[in-house]
Amino acid sequence: MVKVQVKWQGKKYEVDVDATQPGEVFKMQLYSLTGVEPDRQRVLVKGGQLKDDTSMTSLGLVDGQILMMMGTAGELPKAPVQPVKFMEDMTENEMAQALSIPAGLSNLGNTCYMNATLQCLKAVPELKQALDSLAGGMGQSDPRKNLAASMRQLYDQLSASSDGVPPLVFLQFLRQVFPKFGAQDRQHGGYMQQDAEECWNELLTTLDHALKREDTSVVEQYMSGTMVTTLSTEEAPDEAATVREQMFRKLDCIIDKSVNYVAQGIGKGLEQVIEKRSDALGRNADYKAVSRIARLPEYLTVAFNRFSWKASESVEAKIVKSVKYPLDLDVTEFCTEELQARMRPARQRVRDIDDGLAMERKLKAGKRPSQQEEAEPVEPLAPFVLADELKADVGCNPSGVYELVGVVTHIGRSANSGHYMGWVRKEKGVGGPEPKSGADTRNWWYKFDDDEVSMVTDEDILKLCGGGDWHTAYVTLYRAKQLN
Amino acid sequence: MVQKKSSVDSEDVLNPRTATEKITKNKAKDEKDELSEEDQQLVSELEMIVERLKESSVDIHRSAMENLNNVIRSTTSSMTSVPKPLKYLKGHYATLAELHGAWSDEGNKKALASILSLLGMAYDKEGKRDCLRYRLLAGYDDGQISEWGHEYVRHLAMEIGEEFAAKIEEDDEESAEMLLEIAKEVVPFFLKHNADADAVDLLEELGHHELIADYVTKETFERVCLYMISCSPLLAPPVDLGFLETARKIYGKFGKPAQCLPLSIRLGQPELIEEDWESCSTRVEKAQLAFIMARQQVYMPQLTEGDDELLACMNNTGLSKNYRDLARELELLDPKAPEDIYKSHLENTSSDVTLDSARHNLASTFVNAFVNAGYGTDKLMTGAVDGNEWIYKNKDMGMLSAAASLGMVNLWDVELGLNDIDKYLYTDDSTIKAGALLAIGMITSGVHDETDSAKALLSDYTTDESSPAIVKLAAISGLGLAYAGTNRQDILDMLVPLISDTDITIDLSSMAALSAGLVCIGSGNSDVSTVILQSMMERVDSELSHKLARFMALGLGLLYVGTQDKYDTILETLKAITHPIGKQASILMQVCAYAGTGNVLEVQKMLHMCAEHVSDKEDQLSQAFAVLGVGVISMGESVGSAMSLRTFEHLMHYGEAYVRRTVPLAMGLVCASNPVVGVVDTLSKFSHDNDKGVASSAIFAMGMVGAGTNNARLAQLLRQLATYYQKDADVLFVVRIAQGLLHMGKGTMSINPYHHDRTLLSHTGLAGLLVPVVAMISAEKLILTSSHFLLYYLVRAMYPRFLITLDENLESVSASVRVGQAVDAVGQVGRPKTITGFQTHETPVLLGHSERAEMATEKYLALTSVLEGFVILKKNPDYVEEKEED
Repeated sequence: MVKVQVKWQGKKYEVDVDATQPGEVFKMQLYSLTGVEPDRQRVLVKGGQLKDDTSMTSLGLVDGQILMMMGTAGELPKAPVQPVKFMEDMTENEMAQALSIPAGLSNLGNTCYMNATLQCLKAVPELKQALDSLAGGMGQSDPRKNLAASMRQLYDQLSASSDGVPPLVFLQFLRQVFPKFGAQDRQHGGYMQQDAEECWNELLTTLDHALKREDTSVVEQYMSGTMVTTLSTEEAPDEAATVREQMFRKLDCIIDKSVNYVAQGIGKGLEQVIEKRSDALGRNADYKAVSRIARLPEYLTVAFNRFSWKASESVEAKIVKSVKYPLDLDVTEFCTEELQARMRPARQRVRDIDDGLAMERKLKAGKRPSQQEEAEPVEPLAPFVLADELKADVGCNPSGVYELVGVVTHIGRSANSGHYMGWVRKEKGVGGPEPKSGADTRNWWYKFDDDEVSMVTDEDILKLCGGGDWHTAYVTLYRAKQLN
Repeated sequence: MVQKKSSVDSEDVLNPRTATEKITKNKAKDEKDELSEEDQQLVSELEMIVERLKESSVDIHRSAMENLNNVIRSTTSSMTSVPKPLKYLKGHYATLAELHGAWSDEGNKKALASILSLLGMAYDKEGKRDCLRYRLLAGYDDGQISEWGHEYVRHLAMEIGEEFAAKIEEDDEESAEMLLEIAKEVVPFFLKHNADADAVDLLEELGHHELIADYVTKETFERVCLYMISCSPLLAPPVDLGFLETARKIYGKFGKPAQCLPLSIRLGQPELIEEDWESCSTRVEKAQLAFIMARQQVYMPQLTEGDDELLACMNNTGLSKNYRDLARELELLDPKAPEDIYKSHLENTSSDVTLDSARHNLASTFVNAFVNAGYGTDKLMTGAVDGNEWIYKNKDMGMLSAAASLGMVNLWDVELGLNDIDKYLYTDDSTIKAGALLAIGMITSGVHDETDSAKALLSDYTTDESSPAIVKLAAISGLGLAYAGTNRQDILDMLVPLISDTDITIDLSSMAALSAGLVCIGSGNSDVSTVILQSMMERVDSELSHKLARFMALGLGLLYVGTQDKYDTILETLKAITHPIGKQASILMQVCAYAGTGNVLEVQKMLHMCAEHVSDKEDQLSQAFAVLGVGVISMGESVGSAMSLRTFEHLMHYGEAYVRRTVPLAMGLVCASNPVVGVVDTLSKFSHDNDKGVASSAIFAMGMVGAGTNNARLAQLLRQLATYYQKDADVLFVVRIAQGLLHMGKGTMSINPYHHDRTLLSHTGLAGLLVPVVAMISAEKLILTSSHFLLYYLVRAMYPRFLITLDENLESVSASVRVGQAVDAVGQVGRPKTITGFQTHETPVLLGHSERAEMATEKYLALTSVLEGFVILKKNPDYVEEKEED
């Protein structure tokens, strides 16, 4: 009998060895001590391993000798069922899908105004659906329909690719329909820079026409509202105010010295003074035109009137003044009283949802929520009833509250120079994974700089408010807040 | 250098001769000047004495001479002018010399000779060495030499040196012998008067520096030894080693085995180490020696004679435990994830997305390994619920490196660490298995255990025909890592057949050669070198051009680390190899042989090679090795390395592409774990070079320079580089690796091969640096593709930069120490401070690269003069507890 010490996982076991028995027996002894099965044991003796059939005598063990045992009782490592797919092994398309960074559009010579517009309009899924269901190809007699068809094709290409897509066909049709976008620079040659807002408007007009079904179109339904304009003049208080109802596709944000926030600018845009012949007075008088919104579309375009014609330099000069815009925009104050009353329940609903979210965030941010807080059940949202008129009106905004989803920005000093970029919000859970770094942002945004696409945060978006020579918001696209 | 030193001394303002020359220049003016009354009196007195000496009476002579002596001695001489009596005696010098010749009375003659000897140091004609001549006549064996003071003795010593050189030229051994006799009188005087440097220099000039050992006293030996040791690198062989030997002898004489040992190690003679061991009077002292030997990886278990505790010290068994204790003390136990190192939220990138990139994950594997090295826990491998998940997040060879990272994380912890690896040995995936084998090698590197685990586990795989090549490769590398520096024949017996076997692939042979080189590093083992040479000759050219073949050359070089000139025959044989690998091997051999010697001639040789313009691709590699050589040879010696850094700038301007790529790496070698501001700046500049290769190696070098320091500036620079190169996967990978190196061991490690107050070069440490660096030279073929596991060789260079104090029972004990920047106090008078800007800490404590520690309490006495690594303290018997009211 020899008494040896066996080290295993930092512990020492004293084991009596019967030298006449083979190694197998010794391993069984160790099994009873450690619970490691014999075939999973490795017993190390002076630079060698104990084999099952080795006789213990041949080891020349002495009292107190230290042996070491390796082995664990647990399961052996297995390869994962689903093999990991590495970035390096992916084709470019696979990569685009995995990353889901949408593809950009390459610049075909001062076409960034168009690229930015197209990327922002892509944030309106209804538009894309309508395009998908558009019948006919690009060989139709109506060039506007061809333009719409080429837009559909372009959007399809974009979804399939991860690299920049050159919008060649689309551009060709665009220039065909709107020859002004094909204007060339006489001095330097090449195509001239164009106004993105103009492009935006013209495109929507074209689509409105091309996508018309029966008597309405997706553009009209989802992107246009109606407003009621009341014309009255103080000079002739007796004269009955003229009331006109008209459709609008965008709200203008007028920028002057007093405007610091987008709401102020919109307000200014809705209350204008115009000179008009008064029948009662028999002369021209200053009329106040007050517009109030009677229907809000699901997608609201707010255009910043950043360019003013400077006669002295015969150029559209840019107003760089900073005009802050919110990520959540409430336009209730610009609505007719009737609409305001109708929207009240939905508005309350939005507010409840926001409060809930805020609370959730707070809980998450708090390092150790006390147990009481944890126990507190999340209050179920109060049921609400949507006004029938609003329910029936597909494509309207029932709450009057919007969230920002797209921005077209401009850098440079005049509309026909500089550079445009599109910034589009990434939908949560849609598309690829989000950057993991701990930036504090509610939403991530894609920045479309022609064919270079990257991701930025809310903070970066809010920095686009102007006030310097950085990118400045020019057209913003708001979407109705979800009610669920 | 020493000669130069003394000649500088002799030309300083105190020298009477120069002073006299000045006086002569102003002579005309002087004569016109009216002498003061006092001076006038002195002049006439001296004249009178000389007159009396001219008389013929012996007695008068005697009394006159006594007068003269008194006059000379009584003048208060200031340091800046010649004593007045000497000045006014100038005119009489020739007269006195004549008189001396004419006299016959021995006593008077001697006395006059003594005075003449004094005057001679100012007034003799150039080269006549009157001072010495008259001293010999006046006699010197009765303490007379000290009668004229220090300055006189210094002058005398200078003349002795000159005369000796002249006599040797004339082959006049008898006179030389006599000069030695007088020197023997001068030396004790010097030592007594704090001029130990002069004493050593004088004996060195006379070629008998070893005699100093007979004259040193308890008060002087420390200073003498210090001076001799720090002179040694500046001397030409063989005197440099002779100085070390003498210093060692002195330490031995005064019972300081812990001081002897480092010198014995530097001398590279095992029998001296044994002698030091035997000279230890107590077991605790032996334990201290064992710790130093363990740090240097000198493994001589036979010395312990079965004493388990001493063996444990020599085995470095406690390293893991003590390292983790230190980590606990510093609150570093929590594992760190790679993201904690990258801090990518501080990087200016926004497009990093959670997608499994093999390259990115591989970088994280290495970062995780380096950062958590030795802690036993990490977040990817051991910390995760299912550790093997991470392995599968790596691709191909990445899985090898991932599995091997377990070895790094569990570094030095043989008992528990091996268990973590065990399960991977059962896997069918040969890459993972290979990784596990490499991990075993890493865990056991630098520590030895009773059961010889690495051999037990790895040896089967090296020979087993059925095991896949990759498994064999890993087992071979693992053996090399585990047994580096042990010189064990049984391990060599396993490796050597693999080198010579031309049936196996060249990569296996090369790694076997590298491992063999590591195992018997610096031994000059001729069996191994012959086998490697043979293999090189038998292999066909295409095989020798394999990317790993260079490690065969490196293996050969490692055999000769520090051997200086013992490799001539091998060099000749290498010339016979037509393939460029022959040239590469011969350069690597010279580089290794002179590693850390600062040998200027060798550096010049290397520079010549760098300057050539070569077109052949393989030749470029040898040029790259030459660049490394400049760094490796000059490292460890401050002047030399500073010079090499300057030279590198030139190479960077004018060198070929390959040279330029290697320069940053060489800089990294010179300043490993020593983030000097200038070097960091230079590397930072190179890191933006147009040549990606230069940028990559500069970035890697930044990692090396900052390895284990957590240097904030480097961390910031690397983060910026991560942003800058975010689109370039290759360079980004290197940036990540560098970040991992920078935070190695969470900032507690050093990869500098120099230790023991930067005097000892760890051979295995140097090898640990050389392997990854040589691999980085062709990063695109090795590190950036499939051979990234070579980075793990750094494990041999890694060591905690701690100071841990133990009591006499080898239990860790806390003592207060002062830690500050080391100051070079060699040759300074008195007891100068050896550190500056110090702070007082309680041990255990971390030491920076150029920092030094000294005891801040009288309570304990350290058993070694260099406070680094493990230091045993014993209670000071004279210590009295300080009273509080004082």
